[in-house]
Amino acid sequence: MFPFLKIMVRNLIQGPATDPYPFAPAHTPAKFRGCAVHDPEKCILCGICRHVCAPGAIQLRPSEDGSGMQFALWHNSCVFCGMCAHYCPTGALKMSTNWKLAHLGEERFDNAIANFIPFGQCAECGKRIQPRPRAITDRLGADNPDRFLLCPECKRTSVARLATEERRSHTQETV
Amino acid sequence: MSTTPSTYTLPVGPMHVALEEPMYFNIQVEGETVRSVDLAAGHVHRGMEALAMNRNYFQNVTLTERVCSLCSNSHPATYCMAVENLSGLFVPERARYLRVIADEVKRVASHLFNVGIMAHLVGFDSLFMHVMEVREIMQDAKEGVYGNRMNLGQCVIGGCRTDIDADTAAFLRGQLEQLKPQLDEIHGVYERDPLIRARTQGIGLLSQEEAIRHGVVGPVARASGVVYDIRAKAPYAVYPDLDFEVQSDTRGDVHSRALLRLREAAESVRIIEQCLDMIPDGPIAVSGMVTVPPGESVARTEAPRGEVVYYLRSDGSDTPQRLKWRVPTYMNWEALQVMMSGCQVADIPLIVNSIDPCISCTER
Repeated sequence: MFPFLKIMVRNLIQGPATDPYPFAPAHTPAKFRGCAVHDPEKCILCGICRHVCAPGAIQLRPSEDGSGMQFALWHNSCVFCGMCAHYCPTGALKMSTNWKLAHLGEERFDNAIANFIPFGQCAECGKRIQPRPRAITDRLGADNPDRFLLCPECKRTSVARLATEERRSHTQETV
Repeated sequence: MSTTPSTYTLPVGPMHVALEEPMYFNIQVEGETVRSVDLAAGHVHRGMEALAMNRNYFQNVTLTERVCSLCSNSHPATYCMAVENLSGLFVPERARYLRVIADEVKRVASHLFNVGIMAHLVGFDSLFMHVMEVREIMQDAKEGVYGNRMNLGQCVIGGCRTDIDADTAAFLRGQLEQLKPQLDEIHGVYERDPLIRARTQGIGLLSQEEAIRHGVVGPVARASGVVYDIRAKAPYAVYPDLDFEVQSDTRGDVHSRALLRLREAAESVRIIEQCLDMIPDGPIAVSGMVTVPPGESVARTEAPRGEVVYYLRSDGSDTPQRLKWRVPTYMNWEALQVMMSGCQVADIPLIVNSIDPCISCTER
């Protein structure tokens, strides 16, 4: 007659199904998408995180003395989609499992990541280029480590030099 | 509207009807009986289509995911399909399986939510609590596999983001095993419980002719004998390779819609298990960033509430020139006028809930 009675009695015996948080830790899965963390050592200022960030929580602002960029990510604007971490080519941005983000109202603008990332220098002419941290040169610049450390102009020169050298040797061989 | 002395206008809403989403009804009642229904929409218009035209293709994946919480995978999946159709991208097979798994996980959770709310509206709150607790099994599965209880963040243009490895596959299977007996049990309760039956059987009737006339979609159509499911009619992703049955009914009342949703949830569990069995190895997304050529494209999928259609027009820039979507509730809520005519005032929330309205999708 009342098919639910059995379930109700079972649920009564089982007791509460909720976690006793905050008196005991709440379960957090390893894959949980919590607040973003930024590693300035790996950041190459490519800006893809800002490009894919729908709520505009990420800002890259040149520093006043022009020696680098200020990276900012406001946790209160962030929607925890993790697109920045997904598209980050170097793994500088990651989503942590931290979800404990409660804070006072006056701290709302301070609840952010603020990292200064200095520019790199061209290995040949010393011109300002995007940062080339060691962690990145090993991965992204693996094909041509020397050229990876050059500014676009020096890179072009070096490629052109290489191409002409190749042709010269090629001509010598065929003649 | 002219009122005779025997009828008067009863405003229902904009808050409180069924799902605590704003929807306003101007209802003409005669005593306790509803004579006519007038819908007024627009309370949660957020201008999302305009927002989409101000964001690039990548940002729109996140934006469309936030159109609606219960079908939050259907929107980005359909949007990504529209972009992929336009740019001629082929999604890797593994990613297509992963998308189906994400879709079906969301479907189970969405249907259980709706059916649970129905118990709440009947006044059977202990059953409502029980259904929501069973739904927690699926919520935990989402959190454990994708990292969030509602917004899975699974789809990106050209594939998926979260792979299901051996650990998470085993975890997901474990959750499904827990869920299956519970779903059967809940179906039995909804089918036989005298309280549920007394309040929902024969209420909110929608005949097959009316269903076709109003072009209703999703479980509302299928419960009225219109066997229309995009997964079977115009299969996408890996649905052609899967063995599943499109659920249907002919009674077309509130009760049959709830039972149909429960049967669909059970069918979704079967689909997820098949996908976990059949999923091939391989990449889960195409590599590199996509460029979208000028042109137009359309994609459609079966969301928990019915057919979702996305239309995309691109001018070749990194931002859509126009992105438009049509959601199932838009088709279904017009049919409320048929379902509610002649019903009792006390049944209004039940009937509204039975179309599983998503106002935030519809008004976006």
